[in-house]
Amino acid sequence: MPTVPILMPQLGESIAEATVVRIGISVGALVQTDQEIIEVETSKATMGVTTLCCGTVKEILAKEGETYSVGTLLGLLEVSEEEIARTGVDTMEAAADRRTAAASSPEEQEKNLHFALDDDSYEEAPAVVPSVKGLPVPAGTMGAHYISPRMRARMNEMGLREADISAVAGTGAGGRVTVEDLEKFLDYINSWPSSNASPMRLAVADAMRRSWTRPLATVGRPIRLDRVLEHRRNQDPKPGLTLYVLRAFALALVEDPATAGFLIGQKVVHPRAFDIGVAVQVEDGVVVPVLRKVDQKSLHALTNEYAEMVERGRRRRLSEDDLRGGIATVTNFGTFGLTSGTPIPLPNETLILGLGAGVKKPVWSDQVEAFLPVTEAELVMTFDHRVVDGGGAGMLLTRVAELLQEPSKL
Amino acid sequence: MPETEEAQRTRVDLDRDYVRDVFRAMLKARLLEAKLSSLYKAGKIVGGVYLGKGQEAVSAALGASLIQGRDIFAALIRDQAGRTAFGEPLLDCTRTYLGSVLGPMKGRDGNIHRGRPREGMPAMISHLGAEVSVVGGMLMARRLKGELGGVVGATCVGDGATSTGAFHEGINMAAVERLPLVVIVSNNQFAYSTPNDRQFACVDLLDRAKGYGVGGHSVDGTDLLACADVIGRAVRLAREGGGPQMVVARLLRLSGHGEHDDGSYVPGTMRDSHLGRDCLENGIVHMIEQGFATVDEIERWKNRFTEEVQAAVAQAQQEPTPDPWDEDWRACSSEPGGGI
Amino acid sequence: MSVTYIDAIRDAQETLLREDPRVFLYGQDISKFGGAFKATKGLAEAFPGRVLDSPISEDAMIGMAVGAAIEGMRPIVEMQFADFSSIAFNQIVNQAATHYYRTGVPVPLTVRLPSGGTPGSGPFHSQSMEAIYAHYPGLVVVTPATVADAYHMLIESVRLDDPVIYCEHKFLYRWLKAPRINGDGLPIGKARITRPGKHATVVAYSAMVHEAVRAAERLKDEGGWEIEVVDLRSVKPLDIDTVLASIARTGRLLALGEAFPWGGVTAEVVARVCAEGFHLLDAPPRRLNSRDTPVPYHPKLWAAHRPTPESICLALRELLSF
Repeated sequence: MPTVPILMPQLGESIAEATVVRIGISVGALVQTDQEIIEVETSKATMGVTTLCCGTVKEILAKEGETYSVGTLLGLLEVSEEEIARTGVDTMEAAADRRTAAASSPEEQEKNLHFALDDDSYEEAPAVVPSVKGLPVPAGTMGAHYISPRMRARMNEMGLREADISAVAGTGAGGRVTVEDLEKFLDYINSWPSSNASPMRLAVADAMRRSWTRPLATVGRPIRLDRVLEHRRNQDPKPGLTLYVLRAFALALVEDPATAGFLIGQKVVHPRAFDIGVAVQVEDGVVVPVLRKVDQKSLHALTNEYAEMVERGRRRRLSEDDLRGGIATVTNFGTFGLTSGTPIPLPNETLILGLGAGVKKPVWSDQVEAFLPVTEAELVMTFDHRVVDGGGAGMLLTRVAELLQEPSKL
Repeated sequence: MPETEEAQRTRVDLDRDYVRDVFRAMLKARLLEAKLSSLYKAGKIVGGVYLGKGQEAVSAALGASLIQGRDIFAALIRDQAGRTAFGEPLLDCTRTYLGSVLGPMKGRDGNIHRGRPREGMPAMISHLGAEVSVVGGMLMARRLKGELGGVVGATCVGDGATSTGAFHEGINMAAVERLPLVVIVSNNQFAYSTPNDRQFACVDLLDRAKGYGVGGHSVDGTDLLACADVIGRAVRLAREGGGPQMVVARLLRLSGHGEHDDGSYVPGTMRDSHLGRDCLENGIVHMIEQGFATVDEIERWKNRFTEEVQAAVAQAQQEPTPDPWDEDWRACSSEPGGGI
Repeated sequence: MSVTYIDAIRDAQETLLREDPRVFLYGQDISKFGGAFKATKGLAEAFPGRVLDSPISEDAMIGMAVGAAIEGMRPIVEMQFADFSSIAFNQIVNQAATHYYRTGVPVPLTVRLPSGGTPGSGPFHSQSMEAIYAHYPGLVVVTPATVADAYHMLIESVRLDDPVIYCEHKFLYRWLKAPRINGDGLPIGKARITRPGKHATVVAYSAMVHEAVRAAERLKDEGGWEIEVVDLRSVKPLDIDTVLASIARTGRLLALGEAFPWGGVTAEVVARVCAEGFHLLDAPPRRLNSRDTPVPYHPKLWAAHRPTPESICLALRELLSF
């Protein structure tokens, strides 16, 4: 009677082998068509190996607990001629005949680079037929964002970074973007309107891209600005709101300097001085001049220094030294009427403090038992989560808010 | 020993010019090597210095028996006298030892590894016994070109080399081909520091000649006239179609393996024995006694050779050493495909 | 009428003996007997005195050939099996290979090494020695894979003024046939694109070129992959320019060799490609060699010891999927 092989099936695109969990048959047992006879487990799922036809179990080669590659002979069924004819399944005998025929044909022998094997027990390992172009992707070696040296070289040639190819759909192995994909994409966008990015734009892009390599998080809370605004009315010259926040920020950091520390390998590098930058919008970009020793200077002193710095910034007259060495930055996006935001710290800083636009709100007062108008703004801080946690950032933010409630002490 | 007796009998028959050639080469080599040793001790030599002191008679007798321009002489480590007798210029030696880029090896190889293969002087490699088959091949080439008539190829080895496969294979091959090859085995009792009894177990290395089916000769290597006679005869036999000839010379190395070696492993009794006789001192006596040279002549030779040696050393010392920037760093003469 | 690989080797020697009086053959059993593989059949009769039997003395055989070459002859030495050249190793790498550099006198010597595995040959009649000799400066090492190369490269080897290690693959001797000896005029030192492709490059030489082509055909049927096969032809000099040009097209490299896996030609190819063509690579280069055991005797073990189209396909699938 003909014998039919029970083979380890291909159980998924990327599956090369599976483990036999349970063998539900024994030698001599009758099996029906499509009966699940062996339970196997892959890295993804547990599945059943089924029969192709009715028959009797002749031999079981697989063992429970063992792992077999796809195509491995797990057992043999004895099947009647009628059943073979009915189901059309391939038999061991037919496969052997084909091999003999192939071996005895002179053309085949000529093609055989090895030698005629007279030993029938030798079987060519069944080839794993790929089901998708790109083939199984070994887990963990890469993802869609893997950039090969070849791709990297082409990108360098074109001055492109990873961020630049985020829009390109990859057709390479594992969905990788290939050089061909990139060239096609560039061809495609060629017909779109475009302009050259200014050096300032490119500098900001570079700083932001570098900063973005870190795990950044943002927290925020409302603060009342009434006392600050009142204090400010009586000053001459009048310090900007930014300067109040800057000064409060510096004093809060003095109490816990490690919060503004920078993580390099195993070390947290602490600030040497409380030099804090202020984001200044200029044409097509942002510059961040740094005010020195903010913790040691009065609000009054800072006011002039700040005004002069901003003026130079707008005229693009800031020197490298003006921009160097800050430990944190303050940005007042409220000046654009924005109430909230998630600013990004400079790549060499861990913290950035942002101030939203003040909004008048009615707030219930228990004392006067009425709604009172207050000016509230959102104070947000983005931080490198490797250095600071949400709690620490929150405490720092709260401390800044507290200090802002006593503007005369700033 | 029969050979010695025979040598005694035929001394009077020895060609006067030939013996004088042998002696002069011995003397010149001794003076040159003394200078090399002193240069070595003054730190002037690049690499090691390997002397043939005590082996000059054997080596020079071979060199003087060969014909430069026709014969082949693969000199080995202790063959300064043979090289000189064969006609190698002193400058080849001093230039190679002193690292002159004008020497035959251009600084690419040193000391006793020098040679002029196109002029019948293969440049030895350090692997002992390896030159035997090379000389055999050079003779084969002459045979194939129909130019073997009257040609002899010769090489020297020490007792140590007789233990190598290459020596065995080479001499066996030469015997199979019946090549006019002369192999001198200078048994100087030590292969570096290893004495004969740790090197071989046969009674006499000469017995091996019988095993190979080649002519065998034994000679007292401390005796200039015996060497001139026996080695001269071996070369003649080879030249006349007698097939390969092997000469085993008994002697003692009168220096260390190299100048870095004091040879302290050589027992004093051996130094004081017949083997330890200096072939040159002894040779001077024989030359005078047998009327081959006068005391004055020897003195004149000595002075002239001392000057020649000094001149060769002085010239080589003033010559440029190899410049890595000028070196072409090519190990192949052709560069198929343009490089490695 | 067709010409086998061994016929080409024999015919090349006949041509050389006929055209160049400096050529002679030296080796064991090569004279009247015609050689263990019949590579010199009939040559002793045709060229009396120029096809000489040697004693079983591999060291002396090469020493002799070096001497003869110094004297202006063009000896071709047949090692009965490449494996036995280990006995002649000293003469090859120290005498022949150093000679030109040391003395300025080239040694035009050709050593024929019947190389590589055949079923049932076992550990001492199956070795591939090309990497060992390629390691030494002063030697040219060639590994012809086709009938025409077997012929033309042997002629070219003998005409070169330097010592050439001519690695002829025993498995190709009678299996590989061509209708006639053609030639494309490629000199030693230039690789050949045996099969063009665009998805990956297989760099191979000697018998492995044919296995690579077979594997490439399978992958074409299997998934439409187009595998480029580069036949190095000579492993020293190594034509890295052609290899890099191919990788510039494909971005992927599989270096394939039948020799043992530690070091060797495939490692050299990968090292040079990484050093000189890193920017061309889309995936880490792969190597495929024999297993790290002596070459086994039984055909079943032997077939699993050397790279086969199956194992080449596996390596290529992994390479393509990176």
